[in-house]
Amino acid sequence: MAIFIILAAIILVSSIGVVAFLNPIYSAMCLIASMLCLAGLFAQLDAHFLATVQIIVYAGAIMVLVMFLLMLLNLKYEKPKKMRTFYSIVTVLVGILFLCVILPPLNDFFSPFAGAGSQVVGDVKSMGELLYTKYVFPFEIASVLILAAMVGAVMLGKRTYGKEK
Amino acid sequence: MVPISLYMSLAAIMFTIGVVGVVIRRNSIVVFMCIELMLNSVNLSFIALSRTVENLDGQIAVFFVMVVAAAEAAVGLAIIISVFRNIKSVETTDAAELSA
Repeated sequence: MAIFIILAAIILVSSIGVVAFLNPIYSAMCLIASMLCLAGLFAQLDAHFLATVQIIVYAGAIMVLVMFLLMLLNLKYEKPKKMRTFYSIVTVLVGILFLCVILPPLNDFFSPFAGAGSQVVGDVKSMGELLYTKYVFPFEIASVLILAAMVGAVMLGKRTYGKEK
Repeated sequence: MVPISLYMSLAAIMFTIGVVGVVIRRNSIVVFMCIELMLNSVNLSFIALSRTVENLDGQIAVFFVMVVAAAEAAVGLAIIISVFRNIKSVETTDAAELSA
């Protein structure tokens, strides 16, 4: 319980930091901290394989790609303008109102399941058994999806040498 | 033993912070990072529910969400680079040629 409270507090503060910092590098660092603490929460929920994949793929590949992009684009700070600040405050208030509306019924709905579930452990063997028997078709389609994304990213990133001449 | 309603509440709060970030921020890369925050919150709720139902299907769903998020990150950032090459800016308000 103490681990959950510490990790959840860091996640909440980092998530607000992603939105609040004007420097995009600070936002990216806050998101990396949030993802690492989320991996800790996954491990606490007995999802060991997914905790490791979260660190390797999300924090280690996707966020590194974002940091490379921020380094190459070399941006200035985002400037807050006056009308923008008013709409920002309104949006935050609407978000808080939404949470006040949706959190109590959510807690009431999930409170009967408080002590459930400790028989299933998401280790590599169980996940592999499920992935290669029941979900083998989405697994193969996911590989085609990654290939398509790779081809698309390379095509979008190329400079069009024919038109520039 | 942490009750599952705490995990679901944390996921709901993270999701709302992500939505507020997508609406507020003008930098496209920060908007992309708030979308990743929303995806992470959904991953947390999937895993918490998978533990409650005592089934591993929720964790397989998280696996595929991570695959799709990685593909989307590659393509989305390539699009941001292409737009930056044309208008020399990543602010969303600068890509307003179609509006009146």
